[in-house]
Amino acid sequence: MAPLVALNTVVAALFILVTFLLMVSRQIQSVLRAFVWQSLLLALSTLILAVLHGSLELVFVAAITVAAKAVVIPAVLTRTLGPELRARREIASAVNVPVSLLLMLGLSVFSYFLVAPLLTGGTPGASVNLPLGLAALLIAVYTLAIRREAVAQVLGLMAIDNGAFFAGVAITSSSAIVEMAAGLEGVMVVLVVAILTRTIAQRVGSTRVDTLQDLKEGVPL
Amino acid sequence: MLWAIPLAPALAAILTATARRPGAAKVAALAASVAAFLLVLRVVARVSLHGHDVALPGWVGVNPLAAIILLMQSFVGVTAAIYSWNYIPHLAAGSTAKEHRYFINFNLFLASLFLVPLLLQPALAWVAVELTTVLSIFLVSFDNTRVALEAAWKYAVITIMGATVAVLGIFLLLWGLTKAHVAPQTWSALVRAAPHLPPGVVELAFVLIVIGFGAKVGLVPMHTWLPDAHSQAPTPVCALLSGVEVSTVLYVILRLWPVFTAVPGFSAGTWALAVGLVSVGTAALLLLQVHDYKRLFAFSTVEHMGILLLCLGLGPLGLYACLYQLLAHGLTKSLAFYGAGAALVATGTRTIADVQGLLQSAPLAAAGLFLGGIAIAGAPPFAVFLSELAVFRAAVSTGDYLVLGLLLAFLAIAFLGILRRIGSMLFGHPGHAPVRIPPSLVIAMAVSVIPVAVLGVYLPHSLYHLFGMAAAGIGR
Repeated sequence: MAPLVALNTVVAALFILVTFLLMVSRQIQSVLRAFVWQSLLLALSTLILAVLHGSLELVFVAAITVAAKAVVIPAVLTRTLGPELRARREIASAVNVPVSLLLMLGLSVFSYFLVAPLLTGGTPGASVNLPLGLAALLIAVYTLAIRREAVAQVLGLMAIDNGAFFAGVAITSSSAIVEMAAGLEGVMVVLVVAILTRTIAQRVGSTRVDTLQDLKEGVPL
Repeated sequence: MLWAIPLAPALAAILTATARRPGAAKVAALAASVAAFLLVLRVVARVSLHGHDVALPGWVGVNPLAAIILLMQSFVGVTAAIYSWNYIPHLAAGSTAKEHRYFINFNLFLASLFLVPLLLQPALAWVAVELTTVLSIFLVSFDNTRVALEAAWKYAVITIMGATVAVLGIFLLLWGLTKAHVAPQTWSALVRAAPHLPPGVVELAFVLIVIGFGAKVGLVPMHTWLPDAHSQAPTPVCALLSGVEVSTVLYVILRLWPVFTAVPGFSAGTWALAVGLVSVGTAALLLLQVHDYKRLFAFSTVEHMGILLLCLGLGPLGLYACLYQLLAHGLTKSLAFYGAGAALVATGTRTIADVQGLLQSAPLAAAGLFLGGIAIAGAPPFAVFLSELAVFRAAVSTGDYLVLGLLLAFLAIAFLGILRRIGSMLFGHPGHAPVRIPPSLVIAMAVSVIPVAVLGVYLPHSLYHLFGMAAAGIGR
C-alpha cells in the first residue's frame, strides 16, 4: 500500500508541474502536449487509486480519461484547427512568466490552506489529490484569464476540468453512467468551442480573442 | 411520462435534420414544444397531488420546485417556437440551410433545458447544465457577425469555466455523503444527510458552486458575458436564455440550498443577501448607460437574478417570494424580448437613440415593447409587481429594513431607466416607414401577455399551493 501512496504522490507532483508548463508555454503545440501529459497523469493517478481502493469503477474512469482527453480531444482539435495549431507564433499573455510563476506558487499554497482543515480522517489519496487538484483548477482559471489566444483558452478550459477531476477521483466514486456522460461532455465542449474558434479565425482573421471588444456600455455602436 | 418531455424536442431536432423539407422544421418545433407543454401540465397536476412524480427512482423525477421550472421552460418554449415561425425565415433571408440549422439547435437546446430539472443526481444535473451551454453557443453566434461571435466566445468561455469550477463543489458534497456513509448520490440524499456532512467541506462546496454556477446565472461580478450573449442572439433565443436558462441554473443552487443552510455556524443566507444586493445595484446603475434596447433587458436579467438570490436570505416568506419572482420573471422577460425583437424587425436598428415614433410606424411592436417594458420594470397590474411586493413583505417579516431600503432604491432606478428609454422609442416623429409586423410575432406576444397579466391580478390557488410546497422543500 505505502509504495502505491508514494507513487501517487510523485504522479501528483508531476501533474502540478505539467500544469505550470501548460500555462507558461509560448507555443500552441507545446500547450497541447502539456495538456495531453496532464490528462495522462490524471489517468495514472486514477489507476493507482483504483488499485488502492480496489475499485473497478475507477479503472473505467481512467480508461475514459485516456480515451476522451489524450486521444479524442487532441484529434478533434487537430482536425478542426489544424493550421491554427501548427502556427509557430508566440501566444500573447497579459502577465509575464516570472510574475505568473510566483502567482501560481501562491495559488498552490493557498489551496493547501483552504483544504487542510478538511483532510482529517480522509484517505491518503484525498490528502494529496484534493489540494493539488484544487491548485491545478485555480491555476488553470488564472491561465484562462491571462491568455489572449482562443486555442490556449480552450485548452485552459479543459485543464480546469482536469484539475476538478484530479480532486474528484480521489474523493468520490460516481456511477459509470455519470463518468461516461462527463467524458462525452468534455469532447462536445471542445468540438463546439473549436468550431467557434475556427469561425472566429475565418471571420475576424485572427484567434486573438482579446481584440474582440466591441460590445460594451457607454459608447453607442 | 417524464422521459417524453425532453424527448419531444429531441425528436423534432432529429426530424428536422433528416427530413429536409422546407416548412417541416417550423411545424416540428412548434408541435414538439406544445407537446412538451401539455406533458408538463400533466406532471404539474400530479406533483400538486402527490408532492412528487418519479419515473426512475434515483435517476429521473420531479419535485415541486422542478415542476415550477418545467412549467416556465415549457411555456416560454411554446412562445419562442411560435415567434421563430416568421422571425427566423426573416433573419435567415431565404437560406433554408441556415433555417434548418437554427431549428435543430433550438430543439436540442430546449431538450437540454428540460433535462436539468428532471435529473435526480447533482452530477447528472451538472452534465445537463453544461449541455445547455454547449447546445446554445451556435444559437448565440447565429448572426455570424463580428459582435455575435464575440458574444458567443465570452458566453462559452465564462460559463463553461464556471460550470467546471462548480463541478468540484459537487464532488466535495458527494465526498461529504461518502464520509457520512450515505450511498445514493441524489438531491434528497444530500438534503437528508446535510446535518451530518462535515461543515468545512460544505462551506468550500458552497463557495465553488455559488461562484461557478453564479457565473452562468449572471451574478455580479461574473455577469460580463450576459448582456452580450443575451442581446446578440436571435430574439426567440434571447427569450429562452434570459427568461429560462439563467433560472434553470439558479434551480441547481436552490435545490442545494437546504444543504448549505444546514451547516451550523455558517450563514448562507447572509451571503445570498450580500451577493444579491450587489448584483441588483450594479445592474440598476449599468442599466442607465445602455444604448441598445436588447441590452437594456439583458441588464434587467442580471438585476432580477440578484433579487432571486437575495430572497434566499429573507426567511420562509423570502423562499416563497423567490419562486413567485422566478416564474414571473421568466414569463415577463420573454415578452419583453419579443417586443424588442418586433421593434428590431420594424426599425432594423438596436440603438435606442435611432428609434422614434414606434407607436406610429409599428403600433403592434410598440405595444409589445411597452407592455413588456413596464411589466418587467415592475409596474402594476403585472406579475412582477405582485412578486416584488412578496419580496418586500419578506424583507419586512425578517426586519431587514436596510436591505429593503436599498432594494427599493435600486428598483426605482431600474424602473425609471427602463421607462425613460422605452418612452423615447415610442413617441416622437417616426424616422422610418410604417412596417407590418409578421403575424407569428404578434401571436407570440399576445400569448405571452396572458400569464403576465393574469398573474398580476391574482395567483391561482393551484400555483399558490405549488409555490408553498416548493418553498417548504427549499427551507428545512
